[in-house]
Amino acid sequence: MEVITIDDLVKRRGSRTILSGISFQARPGRVTGLLGPNGAGKSSTLRVLLGLDRATSGTALIGSVPFVKLRNPLATVGAVLDGSGAHRARTGRAHLRWVARSAGLPRARVDEVLEIVGLTNAASKRVGGYSLGMGRRLGLAAALLGDPEILVLDEPVNGLDPDGIRWIRTLLRERAASGRTVLLSSHLMEELAATVDDVVVVNEGTVVADGTLDEVTGSHRTLEDAFFALTTGAP
Amino acid sequence: MRALAAEVSKLASLPAAWIAAAAGVLVPGVVAAITASSTRGAIARGAATVAGADTGYQELAFGVVGAIILGVVAISSEHFTESAESGGGRQITTSLTAVPSRLRFLLAKVAAVAITGAVLAIIASGTTMGVIHVVLGEHTPAMGADDVPRLAGVVCYWVCTALLASGITVLTRHGVVPLAVLIANTSVVSVTYLLTKITPLANYLPDMAGVRMFIRKLPGSTAEMSPLTGGLVMTAWVAVLLVVAAISFTRRDA
Repeated sequence: MEVITIDDLVKRRGSRTILSGISFQARPGRVTGLLGPNGAGKSSTLRVLLGLDRATSGTALIGSVPFVKLRNPLATVGAVLDGSGAHRARTGRAHLRWVARSAGLPRARVDEVLEIVGLTNAASKRVGGYSLGMGRRLGLAAALLGDPEILVLDEPVNGLDPDGIRWIRTLLRERAASGRTVLLSSHLMEELAATVDDVVVVNEGTVVADGTLDEVTGSHRTLEDAFFALTTGAP
Repeated sequence: MRALAAEVSKLASLPAAWIAAAAGVLVPGVVAAITASSTRGAIARGAATVAGADTGYQELAFGVVGAIILGVVAISSEHFTESAESGGGRQITTSLTAVPSRLRFLLAKVAAVAITGAVLAIIASGTTMGVIHVVLGEHTPAMGADDVPRLAGVVCYWVCTALLASGITVLTRHGVVPLAVLIANTSVVSVTYLLTKITPLANYLPDMAGVRMFIRKLPGSTAEMSPLTGGLVMTAWVAVLLVVAAISFTRRDA
């Protein structure tokens, strides 16, 4: 079972500092929520973790290795970042087929994940004709192809209808219950509060709170109240 | 090999790659039909006695637009950004989470483009020469041992051109500019050809050198170059560009 360890990540772009020393862990069997306002550095942290962006300094490890050194990436980490991650001219099934092929997974697995995310009937449609929610489901299907130890999701409930939100919450809880690691980012606190075990609150590129949901909520009435207290200094 | 299989699968399911294939086969085929029928008319009138030595090969030099489109869309499709309403995603994030090593990803991409470009060149050569045979009949220039290296030169030229297009697109990340510049240079007025009028050094530009692999008579040529030298010069350009593209691609944020 793999732990995600983010250690003192710093990311500068030109004169702008996007991350100024982010550290936290996401553990197996738990859903960890990276919480913060837009621009806090949530996506950048996830992009560095996945090797898409390069950190100025610091490390992001899956177990004991950086993501780019993983032998079997799709079976280790499934990731969904912006949108569907698919080209609009391809069908959903064709997109999943090339991803499956990159990991030597059988074609039958493509149909399995289409079934899991509820896209079987739309699989032959071009991605350009998908709604935002369908695109998100396709992205998740690709992430689930290798039945990975770890799921990394950037704003997973964005674009989903209430049904979809409930569905993804159940799915993520099930993954954690089976001992896997789930790391997700969100700026929607109420959605996050109902899904996560651990919370890492980031603001302006730094971690302002890190602990279990109860610990971070503390004496505040809700996670949202705690969040505003932590990020704006409001009582 | 899995990364290569994924890249071939991507190209096969990308409509723009099929447009590239159609352009690569139809452009030289149609141009060949037109020029061959005008040659046949000239022979019938007695204005010419035989078809030129570059019959078919000139057309294949134009047909390289197919290879250009292929090379560009293979890369630009990775960076194409969805609309904000669709989440603003790009395929490159999926590609690099499936194949995290940038170098391995790029090698697989380049190999897929090269293989597809070669197959396309072979099909286009067969079609173009076939069209000429049908139109010219007995006046078709006889195919000899000399044509084997020339046709190999066509394949090499198409593959190199596709790789140049890919390499430039890795640097620009966007397909429009490389597509416009490279196609315009092939079809309308060849800027590189005009440059050879100014300086003989322009003969060493990749396309001007590369066509020497199979074109025998360059009108108003300002330099002599053997087919082998031409091929080596073009290959050197491709190698340098791909190295620069790889360095840039492995260092930049995706």
